[in-house]
Amino acid sequence: MTTHLSESELVDLVEDALEARRAVHVESCAACREQVEACRAMLRDTAAIEVPEPSPLFWEHFSARVRSAIEAGPAERRSGRAWFGLRGLGSLAAAVAVIIAVVSGVHLVRAGLGGALPAGTVAGPAAITSAAADERDTVSVDGVPDPDNAEVWSVLTAAASTLEFDEAHDVGLHVHPAAIDHAVQGLSAAELTELGRLLQSELKRSSN
Amino acid sequence: MASAEPGSKVTVTNPTDAELVESCLAGRRESFDLLVERHQRHVYQLCYRFVGNHEDASDLAQDVFIRAYRGLKNFRGQASLGTWLYRIGVNVCLNKVGAKTPQPHALDPLLAASDERIVSQAESAADAVLRGERAGQVRAAIARLPRKQRATLILRVYHELPHEQIAGILGSSVGAVKANFFHALNNLKKLMAE
Repeated sequence: MTTHLSESELVDLVEDALEARRAVHVESCAACREQVEACRAMLRDTAAIEVPEPSPLFWEHFSARVRSAIEAGPAERRSGRAWFGLRGLGSLAAAVAVIIAVVSGVHLVRAGLGGALPAGTVAGPAAITSAAADERDTVSVDGVPDPDNAEVWSVLTAAASTLEFDEAHDVGLHVHPAAIDHAVQGLSAAELTELGRLLQSELKRSSN
Repeated sequence: MASAEPGSKVTVTNPTDAELVESCLAGRRESFDLLVERHQRHVYQLCYRFVGNHEDASDLAQDVFIRAYRGLKNFRGQASLGTWLYRIGVNVCLNKVGAKTPQPHALDPLLAASDERIVSQAESAADAVLRGERAGQVRAAIARLPRKQRATLILRVYHELPHEQIAGILGSSVGAVKANFFHALNNLKKLMAE
């Protein structure tokens, strides 16, 4: 009986690439034969798994998305998917942009520009947008979800439920719940109420 | 390849990758768009095999091309552009899966839709359920493989790259690639039995 097949030879035999004079070994060696059969079976199971095909729209826009991310530069890369989506979504994008801008803007004002907002007031849209741009990491897709923010999240999800998410998803627009959760941490009840009102208002406007 | 001013249209009907790289380095950005379109499917599929969901796969694929664009001047052309992209892709994906526990594949809407399409075609519902369960187990087991074994398995089984090319991508010897492949299959069997 010849020596057992090495790992490399077993792989070659599984792939029908082993030279005949070594391949005959398995005819007289149950151990090697068993290993080869097990590997072949596992290979069949593994090879049967397919990658689901994304929508044609995804492929059509992918190179544009890459181009946008390259042009945006390193600071924008983490949110490149969201920016790509925003460019093509019109009123829906505007609504979501307002959600993010308001949330991050209010958070920023609280965190670094002089403490809590008075109840019933928020920063103007221009100021909010500018603040959000300077604090991109505040609204990050890598933000850590806070399960304690159930109230905030319920406001946001209720408002967002009117959006066409299929359409948004198709063009690559995704706002991760963790990003919003992260941004609204620490808002007071009054600020949350105002945020909810703004969200509803913007969403109604965008749906008209 | 005909010379052209930066920004002008690429006029070659079917330029090679090398020509497109040269054109891109000469300042014609649209050449890189063509390279992306040419390789996007393979790069996306590679990323999907590592992370198992569309969202992360599309982000990673984008990251691969951004890194490729920024490193294009360092591309020597010793390997094919496809191999070079695979190398970047594997590095990007291994960093990603090293930093994050793989997500359950069954949660991916694209995957669910794909399974539904398959079920509706030929096989009985019971067969489809069994096959789907088996596929889910295999996916979960692949996600638990050591990183190099996983990369080897993906490149060999799903991208059908020769062992020599995989060795170049992973910076290993051919013998090490074959050993990794063998251990990957063996470990999958053990993980499936758990």
